[in-house]
Amino acid sequence: MRSITKVCTAAVAVLALSVTAAACGSDSGGAGQESGGKTTITFWDNNGGVRTPIYQELIKRFEAANPTIKVEYVGIPIASVQQKYDTAIAGGATPDVGGVTTSYLANLTGQQALEPADDWLAKSPVNGRLLDSMLASVKATTPDGKLYMAPATSNLDVVWYQKDKLSAAGVEAPKTWDEFFTAVGKLTKAPDQYGWTIRGGAGSIFQLLAEAYAYSGVPEFFDASGKSTVNDPKNVELVGKIAALYKKDTPEADVTNDFPKMVAQFTSGKVAMMHHNLGSYNDHVKAFGADKIDAFPMPVGATGKRTIVANPVDGFAVFKNSEHKEAAWKFVEFLLSKESNSYWNQQTGQIPANKDAQGDAWLNERPYLKNAVSVLADPQTAVVSPPYYLPQFSSITKADTEPLFQKVLLGQMKPQEFLDTMAQKLTEAQAEWKQAHS
Amino acid sequence: MASTGTAVAGGRPRALRWAPYLLISPTVLLIAVFLVYPIGSVLYYSLQHYNLTKPWANGFAGLANFREMLFEDPLFWTSLGFTAKWVVAEIGLQLVLGLALALIVNESFIGRGLARAMVFSPWAVSGVLTTGIWILLYNPTTGIVRYLGAPEAAVLGNPDTVFGALVLTELWRGVPFFAILLLAGLQGIPGELYEAAAVDGAGRTRRFLHVTLPHLRDAIVLATLLRSVWEFNNVDLIYTLTGGGPAQVTTTLPLYVAQRAIDSKDFGYGSALTTAGFVILLFCSLLYLRLSRFGADHKG
Repeated sequence: MRSITKVCTAAVAVLALSVTAAACGSDSGGAGQESGGKTTITFWDNNGGVRTPIYQELIKRFEAANPTIKVEYVGIPIASVQQKYDTAIAGGATPDVGGVTTSYLANLTGQQALEPADDWLAKSPVNGRLLDSMLASVKATTPDGKLYMAPATSNLDVVWYQKDKLSAAGVEAPKTWDEFFTAVGKLTKAPDQYGWTIRGGAGSIFQLLAEAYAYSGVPEFFDASGKSTVNDPKNVELVGKIAALYKKDTPEADVTNDFPKMVAQFTSGKVAMMHHNLGSYNDHVKAFGADKIDAFPMPVGATGKRTIVANPVDGFAVFKNSEHKEAAWKFVEFLLSKESNSYWNQQTGQIPANKDAQGDAWLNERPYLKNAVSVLADPQTAVVSPPYYLPQFSSITKADTEPLFQKVLLGQMKPQEFLDTMAQKLTEAQAEWKQAHS
Repeated sequence: MASTGTAVAGGRPRALRWAPYLLISPTVLLIAVFLVYPIGSVLYYSLQHYNLTKPWANGFAGLANFREMLFEDPLFWTSLGFTAKWVVAEIGLQLVLGLALALIVNESFIGRGLARAMVFSPWAVSGVLTTGIWILLYNPTTGIVRYLGAPEAAVLGNPDTVFGALVLTELWRGVPFFAILLLAGLQGIPGELYEAAAVDGAGRTRRFLHVTLPHLRDAIVLATLLRSVWEFNNVDLIYTLTGGGPAQVTTTLPLYVAQRAIDSKDFGYGSALTTAGFVILLFCSLLYLRLSRFGADHKG
């Protein structure tokens, strides 16, 4: 019996440890191998799933043009991609090349995981063909100003809507926030139809900030003294107005809805309008058909000046640990060429980084996309740049504050307190970063 | 005879002296790789500032992580409180329901084999699959709540209903474990004891209290202990159903570890939290084993 006690104690120790095991992700990755004179490079897609077929096609084309290089595709779900990169870096098993966005680029360069692409780009045929604004946005993310990621696409916050729902309610696509709130009220016939949906789960804060700055028209993320403007009174006002819509003009489930659940709710037809970005175009087309949906940019606030929050730029990075950096860059270069970049963005419905692709017919045939490109190109548009260079930015706007926004929706926290907390964290992170890099 | 023994021992070939160590070495190696090293590395990191988002501040932290945890982090205490509430509710209900089911399927009746299979089947379903099923059941648009007179009610999004919904899901999965272990215990009780008790005039209740329960003691202690540790460390079910939300009301300590270590990339602090969980579990388990005198000789 005593031995049973001992076995039991040991079992308890092992089980107690499973808390550690649960907190650790698995890592997978691979270095390139030479097989039969072929160089194999591993490519991680940072948004595996809907985009997988696009890359399968592009890889097929690339391998046909470069018979000595084989690309091994690994699709990583967007929700776990940062964690996968972090564990791969810690374990020394990074891919040769991977999809990266500026929202976590600083985190990767902070760990010295990426190879700068400046020299490669200077000698490349795509040099001079990539949009300067996107290149600048990438370079602004890292303290040394180098290009650790070659930009491929960018995005814009838009409000998707079902055309027939709006016309049935006699509502035009809103241009100002006043029109927007009126439209939401008119479109709601609870519990069968809701005018709006709030993203309350994962990814909520970025969308909320895009709404808040569009409403307030505050042009900078930090003021001259380095203080965050997130808790500007007008931003607080907007958060209060949005929270007031919860459960009245939106489904109750919104409080925990992440991107897939939010889109599922919209595509089920119950919700008339939904804030996301250009990237979810394919989901809507699949659900409703291309002629049934449209999108408008974020409404304009009381200042009358259109203000947008710059979306992360998405692109490709070559990893420092790669044994086949040249082959990896060759693949990046191929993905950025006019044909590939145009194909990729046509499939995803986003804005191509390659200037030559921007004149393509498919882009001009989609009014919402043409509109988005012109909003971005309009010198009157004020662009607020979030501090993607802060390695903490991602955790502040996700793990630290997402639960607080849920509290606001549930009436357990005031919008002022919520934004004050976020502002304080951002101001501190900004000061710490400045000190570390001075 | 004694001299013969000495001669054999003295003349044992050198290689043989190492044989016992050689034989236990695989076990020692496994323990070292899978227990000593992970525990040691968690302890090591709990004394470090190790935050991927602040690489410039990494380094030895002393007890700073523990100080922050105990005195400056209200979420540590709320998550610990929720964990305790979760473990107590789950273990209490699982024990009562599991015992009831075990007693029922221990009786002989037509279709007992089928009934036993039904009782145990949820245990065979994987955790993530279980939550997949229950997410569909709780879905406001397509799930079962539509028929309960509450259209569009988000059971998992409402702080008032989310705990009950989680408990129900975990009960569905956890009760069979108790039922299996207790049924095995029930079948080890000699039938003569019941006959003797019946002869002495004991009714059903007295037979249960004085024969069944004392014989089940070890099985109950073991089952509640194992399940307590499992429920304390339960991550898959709560993570997939609610992610600890809404507004952190269902965040258990292990989920909080995952949030701090993986989402916020603060592995130093996450390790300190893990260490706290480890110590709490170890202490509670040893205390429980001592108090219940598990494995001690006792009269039935």
